[in-house]
Amino acid sequence: MIHFYYSYQPVIDFFLLSLGFAYSQQIALRAGVFSIGTAGFAALGGYLVAILATRTEVPMWVIIPAGAAIGALGGYVLSIPLARLRGAFVAIATLAFVKVIIALALYFEDLTGGAIGVTNIPRIMDTWSLALMALLVIYVNWSIGRTTLGRIFAALAQDESVAASLGVSIRRYHMIGFMVSGAIGGLFGGLQSLYVYNIEPNAFGFAFVVTILTVVVLGGRTTLLGPIMGAGIMAILPEVARPLADNRTMVNGIIMILVITFLPRGVGDTIVDAVRHRWRQRRGASRPQKQEVADAVASD
Amino acid sequence: MPSLRIENIAKHFGGLKAVDGFSMEVPPGEITGLIGPNGAGKSTVVNMIAGVLSLTSGDIKLGDRSISTDRTEQVARAGIARTFQSIRLLPETTVLDNIVIGFHRHEKAGPLAALLGLPSATRELRELREKAWDLLERFHMQEYAFLAAGNLAYGHQRRVEIMRAMASDPAILMLDEPVAGMNDVESDELAEIFKQLAEQGLGLLLIEHNVGFVTRLCRQIYVLDAGRLLASGPPEQIVNDPRVIEAYIGGASAA
Repeated sequence: MIHFYYSYQPVIDFFLLSLGFAYSQQIALRAGVFSIGTAGFAALGGYLVAILATRTEVPMWVIIPAGAAIGALGGYVLSIPLARLRGAFVAIATLAFVKVIIALALYFEDLTGGAIGVTNIPRIMDTWSLALMALLVIYVNWSIGRTTLGRIFAALAQDESVAASLGVSIRRYHMIGFMVSGAIGGLFGGLQSLYVYNIEPNAFGFAFVVTILTVVVLGGRTTLLGPIMGAGIMAILPEVARPLADNRTMVNGIIMILVITFLPRGVGDTIVDAVRHRWRQRRGASRPQKQEVADAVASD
Repeated sequence: MPSLRIENIAKHFGGLKAVDGFSMEVPPGEITGLIGPNGAGKSTVVNMIAGVLSLTSGDIKLGDRSISTDRTEQVARAGIARTFQSIRLLPETTVLDNIVIGFHRHEKAGPLAALLGLPSATRELRELREKAWDLLERFHMQEYAFLAAGNLAYGHQRRVEIMRAMASDPAILMLDEPVAGMNDVESDELAEIFKQLAEQGLGLLLIEHNVGFVTRLCRQIYVLDAGRLLASGPPEQIVNDPRVIEAYIGGASAA
């Protein structure tokens, strides 16, 4: 076990980091917002934490939440001009937001180090602390699934005019979706800074956006299990495909096409659906005496 | 319970006067009918009340309060629920949770409590699901509770939509062609439920094509034609009104 841990520790850490970013991406989709702003939120949190950690004596228990806070603030500010946009237009606008954040990071050289970025960040995160933070994010997402907030998000994602006809303020809940996505993105951006020694603007570029989207599309867009499966596959795939050397990216692409074609809801969502279906068939539809645990685990 | 008053409303799309100077009242404890041939402007009226379309002129009041400039969710929060002409459920969500969303107007736990998973928020979902079960039992739909709403038969989907609207415990319920595509047994069952709701003090606005169904249920009927009020009155008066017959059958008196 210990041997396994040491040889695969970088893979596990990578898995935990991308898990956090994937939840940030997923919560936006769950709320019916086609935002791909996670990279921007991660950059905001990542830079703030990196700068505070290298230039100030602010204690870590303040710095890490500050990363989440600036991400949430970014989400809030972003939600205001985007309130009237939907679908692909939100995606384009949030991609522009990512580009603006990167441009700012390049421009304010005194603060951000420009193209070189911030270097010599103390490395204080290890597998265990990353896992703890991932559990925190999973808990928040689980909570959404077992409260009415999850139903409201599902309503917004499926038919927002129905939600409005029932008194749901679309603007307010889209804003909440943006802020939660921003907070998680900022938090994990900051954790990443405290893990990788140095960050630079291009680390949050288009490749980052695509990778995180891929995790969520592969894993699933609505269930708790989705990002876990997606991030797991994305972490293990390069290891499994290592013997293929130069053909690795091609194999990645082929596997992705296959999954999207045959499991369009994603691996995790498909599993949860199947389990839930079977469980309901066995149980039948009778009024529960107590709310089922399984419902909470398979939150939607 | 307040009544819904529509005062001289108009909606013009450019030169087209979809609704032009229409007034009506939906009092509590009664079923009020709104009928008219295709393209008469019935759905436009509903969408104006619901806050989906803005008014060109006129006013809409719920009790003493004007709701004519309110957004959709504000109208819903004021106590006006609706069903849609083409059924609109959340297709991937279970029947039970489709109804739970209907209770949104009465939710108390805030989003922060939900994010932190506080007991107040999780308890609220449990309680609302209990209430949703009560509604399911009333409509004899328990066996479909855990099915995705999109997989139900047409008539059942209609019922889920009506249950969802009722979940918000509205003062006014607007039903846009609720029995379209239903057989007589199904529509009779619904008629019985509508009568019960009216007896409880709800004001129902029934928008229908099916004149027979409307005349059986409504105390007062308004007939809309080409955006204008053609006639209004009790059912027996409406069905014998030559103008109404002409609008529906088309120039019968000239033949």
